[in-house]
Amino acid sequence: MDLRRALAPSRTAHAHCDIPCGIYDPAQARIEAESCYRMIEKYHASSDEVFRARCLSVKEARAEETKHHIDVMWHDYFKPEHLEKYPDLHDVCWKAAKQASLVKRTVDLEEAKKLLALIDRIDEMWKGTNGPAATRMPA
Amino acid sequence: MRRLPLLLVAIVLVAAAALARPVRRLVRSWEARVAVAGGSMAPGIQDGDWLLVDPDAWRTDAPVPGDLVLLADPRLPERLLVKRVHARLPDGTLDVRGDAPDASTDSRTFGPVEPGSLLGRPWLRVVPLRRAGRVR
Repeated sequence: MDLRRALAPSRTAHAHCDIPCGIYDPAQARIEAESCYRMIEKYHASSDEVFRARCLSVKEARAEETKHHIDVMWHDYFKPEHLEKYPDLHDVCWKAAKQASLVKRTVDLEEAKKLLALIDRIDEMWKGTNGPAATRMPA
Repeated sequence: MRRLPLLLVAIVLVAAAALARPVRRLVRSWEARVAVAGGSMAPGIQDGDWLLVDPDAWRTDAPVPGDLVLLADPRLPERLLVKRVHARLPDGTLDVRGDAPDASTDSRTFGPVEPGSLLGRPWLRVVPLRRAGRVR
């Protein structure tokens, strides 16, 4: 064992995924988008102006996070061969990011629902490209 | 019989000259050896393999598609990567890829790399012993 240690290379050549953790999961975007949805619900259910203002503030922050996580999936997770399998990949991601921007500025619950549906389509593509096995830590 | 020693000297000199380059390459490659971390080059090269790397390989020859390369990560130059040349682009840069696309971050993510970022050619696996031998 000492011999092995003496001979061991001092340098490591990396042959794995990214410098960041390499964990990509649309659930991150979905949770933020669900927060937006709930904030819009709570906004409409309340008559307390201060509370309503907090709902808007939280919703806008969460919508920005949603957009960020959609972008990470789009730019970092998806690769050219995924596009071959899902030719509408760019279109779906683009629409989802735009929808997140829309949800940031609206209190229309329907728009928040559309955002969730678009994230679910990203989720389908993630699952269809072996995403869970490639990026999730085994339990 | 003055001829025999001369012949002997000549043979030794020729042999030494013939062996000098491979021996030098082996010594230099041993000094530049790396341990592989990760599975992006599976199944050919696997996590934990020790590879000898010829640090002089790309000083004279340019790599062609299919060649294994050790290179500096363009995003963090002190980090080493092992990849395979996928294509040489018209501007002289190289598109490098992992052999296992689903488990590899490569030119698809960080773009083509400069030939100057190449640090050598992995060519011989020494560990594990049961898979020791040339890698290509």
